[in-house]
Amino acid sequence: MILKRKHIKFLRWFIVRPRTSGVLSFLFLCAVTIIITIQQYQLVKEQEQREMNNILNVVHQNIDQSLKNYYTATLTLALTINDEGIPKNFEYVSKRLIESNKSIFCVQLVPQGVIKYVYPLAENKPALNLNILTNPYLKKEAFKSIADKKIYFAGPLQLKQGGLGIVGRYPIYRHNTFWGFSAVIVKLNTFLATSGIQNIDNSKYYFQFSKYDSDTKKEKFYLNYSTDLKSKYYISTEILDGDWKLYLISKNKYYLYSAILIPCILGFILAGILGLLVTTLLKIPNELQSLVKLQANKILDTEMKFKTIFDQAALGIASIEPVTGNFLEINSKFCEMLGYTEKEMKLKNFQSITHPDDLEQDITNVDHLKNGRINEYAMQKRYFTKKGDILWVNLTVTPLLDTNQNRENLIAIVEDITIKKTTEKIIKKSETRFKSLFDDSPLPLREEDFSEVKKYLEQKKLIHKSTETVLEYFNQNPNDVDECHSLIKVINANKACLKLYKVKNIDELISNKNELFNLKSRNDFINNLVAITQGKKQFIIDTLIRNGKGEFRAINLRWNLVQGYKNTFERVIVSTEDITNRLESERIIIDTKQNVESLINTIDGIVWECDATTYNFGFISDKVTNILGYTPEEWVNDPHFWSNHIYPEDKEWVQSYCKIKVNENLDHDFEYRMIAKDGKIVWLRDIVNIIYDHGKPNMLRGIMIDITHSKEAENELNTSFEIVSEQNKRLLNFSYIVSHNLRSHTSNIASIVSFLENTDSQEEKNEMLQLLKTVSNSLNETMLHLNEVINIRTNISLVLVPLNLNEYISTALNVLTEQISKNDISILSHVPLDTIINYNPAYLESILYNIISNSIRYRHPDRTAIIKISYHIENNLKFLEISDNGIGIDLIKNADKLFGMYKTFTTNSESKGIGLFITKNQIDAMGGTITVESEPNIGTTFKIYIR
Amino acid sequence: MTNKTIWIVDDDPIYQIIVSKIINRSAMFSKIIPFKNGKEAIDQLQEVINNNEAVPDIILLDINMPIMDGWEFMEEFNNLKPKYLDKIRIYIVSSSIAVEDKTKSKKFKTILGYISKPVTVNDIVLIASDE
Repeated sequence: MILKRKHIKFLRWFIVRPRTSGVLSFLFLCAVTIIITIQQYQLVKEQEQREMNNILNVVHQNIDQSLKNYYTATLTLALTINDEGIPKNFEYVSKRLIESNKSIFCVQLVPQGVIKYVYPLAENKPALNLNILTNPYLKKEAFKSIADKKIYFAGPLQLKQGGLGIVGRYPIYRHNTFWGFSAVIVKLNTFLATSGIQNIDNSKYYFQFSKYDSDTKKEKFYLNYSTDLKSKYYISTEILDGDWKLYLISKNKYYLYSAILIPCILGFILAGILGLLVTTLLKIPNELQSLVKLQANKILDTEMKFKTIFDQAALGIASIEPVTGNFLEINSKFCEMLGYTEKEMKLKNFQSITHPDDLEQDITNVDHLKNGRINEYAMQKRYFTKKGDILWVNLTVTPLLDTNQNRENLIAIVEDITIKKTTEKIIKKSETRFKSLFDDSPLPLREEDFSEVKKYLEQKKLIHKSTETVLEYFNQNPNDVDECHSLIKVINANKACLKLYKVKNIDELISNKNELFNLKSRNDFINNLVAITQGKKQFIIDTLIRNGKGEFRAINLRWNLVQGYKNTFERVIVSTEDITNRLESERIIIDTKQNVESLINTIDGIVWECDATTYNFGFISDKVTNILGYTPEEWVNDPHFWSNHIYPEDKEWVQSYCKIKVNENLDHDFEYRMIAKDGKIVWLRDIVNIIYDHGKPNMLRGIMIDITHSKEAENELNTSFEIVSEQNKRLLNFSYIVSHNLRSHTSNIASIVSFLENTDSQEEKNEMLQLLKTVSNSLNETMLHLNEVINIRTNISLVLVPLNLNEYISTALNVLTEQISKNDISILSHVPLDTIINYNPAYLESILYNIISNSIRYRHPDRTAIIKISYHIENNLKFLEISDNGIGIDLIKNADKLFGMYKTFTTNSESKGIGLFITKNQIDAMGGTITVESEPNIGTTFKIYIR
Repeated sequence: MTNKTIWIVDDDPIYQIIVSKIINRSAMFSKIIPFKNGKEAIDQLQEVINNNEAVPDIILLDINMPIMDGWEFMEEFNNLKPKYLDKIRIYIVSSSIAVEDKTKSKKFKTILGYISKPVTVNDIVLIASDE
């Protein structure tokens, strides 16, 4: 099987490639032709060779035979020589020899090389006594036979007797001495004739006979044929006894080719034709196949189109067998409509799925169609779907004609109209519903016809006239108003309407129409008429009516044109809502509101109301003008008024505070500042209540009370309290310093005194006295320091003088010149030359000296000390900045001690812990502050703030 | 004379001289070592502990000192191993009569007492014998 399949596959390969196959078969046939030709050629050639060899062999054998005969003849002749060396019976023997061998021309005995005996003498006389051993023409060959001691055929030679001949010489030895020759002469012609050369087919071959001439080194040819053998085909054989060469030469060397050329060419032509044939043959099925394919595609295409139309159609299409009613073909839409599969449908007939109420008519129609009474029919009918639902369809049935115009099957086209049917039902239902709505509506409703009114207005040419024109017309023609009013036709009125007018039925309403309707408010009716002239489709007005009991009721009258009657005004729905009670309650509400508002405005605070999420103010009481200067309108009209007028510093926290409180549902009470219209800052206490709606904050209500005065008083109090407590703190600190610093000295003195009292050793007494002196000095120093500090503190009213800051820096640097140059310190001062500050001169000098000398003292041992001095004004604060790159202070540990008295942070013996303490006190006294930034090993920056 | 060591930590050189004389007079200690501030004292204490040498029996500690004051010293001291904390008895000796300082000293369990200057021989004898 596999093999077969392979075979088929192989064949298919060729079939689908006709051109390749053609070429291949051409090549194949060419190859076959070449092989056959070559074999043919070989065969012919072999045959030829064999034939030539045969001919040559025959001739060769003949020559050999002849030569042997001649040899026998010479031998026989030699035997005639007797013991004395004289030939006996030469004549006789010779005669016998020639008789037995006719080809022999003559025989000779040549004792010692001289021709002495010749037979037949008569013709050979000229040769007698010729010494062949001396004759140059002959001697060479003669000597050759002597040397070889055997017969040798010389020549062909030019014979004395005439003509060409060959001479066979047999050397005769007597007692081992050369006696002479016995010789046979044969004419060349005769020799060749006996060889049978002439017997061969002259048309094909010819002979050539040659001898190699050792003198001339040339081959000499003896036959009258062409001697040029190079371009010819030949074979040859050598005849040793005469050193001859015999050739057999083919006359035409090309005839062989011609013998094979024609079949070869024919073969090629045949191959070519066959190749073409194969190509064409193989092409034909291909072309046929492609033609078939094309046709098949066309058919397929058509079929597809039809199938698509059939299947994709939005309509159900089916072909039906008319007798049984079976579905033969049915499209998917049809199946889809009914909910069956195509297979299921094909097992059914139309009768089985048609609603019984529609079946009879359907079957009748089909019968008519079958009988040819009608050509098609259409009907609305019901099918049952698979689920059992009813499917309403529009069915169109036409017969399908065959080629002979016979009615075969029926084509049913089905359109789903279920929705249409359903809609119709719904419309009917809604009509009924609307009717009941109208009747049972709590709103008084009337159905009226204004068409007569409109016609009347048209007559009066009032339609589309300007409102003013119409108004003027009716004012001047009051009768026309009455006329119009009487033209209104009441068609229907609902229960509520009857109730409103307090009439029993519609008839009563219609008969009393003129009295009951809104003639009391004539102007309102005129407006109504204006609306009609303006082509309005609806009209709304609050007006008055009188009911059947003579009571007046306020109503909200609205009319709307019914759709479809917009131009004729034939149908108008008029609603007349009784708003008498509503108006009354509205009036009460307005009164109440006015009371509340006047009450609110007497409150000494801004009463307000705003949205809980947007802070959009809905109400703000008039007091806002008194307190902040804004009008309530200004406030209410700007949605961001409140937030935009909060004092900038308070704005952010106030808003977030409010938000948080509202989110937590907490009423709140807080104080902040707002900016009044005149730019003043007003302190407000805002008391806020949250108003809930469905449990969620909806509105905020509150009152803002002006607390500016109390706030100012409070602030003043706070400030003075701060001053007092600061002073108190300083005082406490000072007293502590005093007690501590003095106590350390007094305790030392006490101890020393106690020693002095309790010792007897003079040495120790002296020592104690010395110590006492030291303590006394220290105490004195401390006292000086304290004095200095007290001086600063007591001099509250120090004189402030405008000072050139730069000059004072120079003075301080001058005092420190020695230390600066000794320690190679660079001072970089960037203070502008004209900087003037209000300060106490002595303090400024002291402050600059202390801080700069501090920076020098605590310089870093590993680097050049750089001290930078600069002056800045930032945010209205003036400050002097002095920074160094010294050893720095660990501020985390020492921040609180830095400016304390006797606080030192290094082992430096120069530090006494008094400089910064005094500096700080001086700066404090000037109303400024000092700050420090420092990092160990990086440096320290002091900022002295100047008031 | 007992074989006890006392360390005096105070930046006042005069006080150092006087208190040495008082201690000598009390004859309660065989060895008196002065320190200028808390830093020097705590460094020495660390070294002594590291070298496994004898720690002082008593330390008299001033509060106000440069570089490392008495309170800072106490914080470092409390980081030592408990066996040393038990062994070494610390007394604050200060010229301060501020109540805050006394109150603060009570916060440290390792501080056994607060002595106001001037220190007397009696004080020394009392603390030396207060085992």
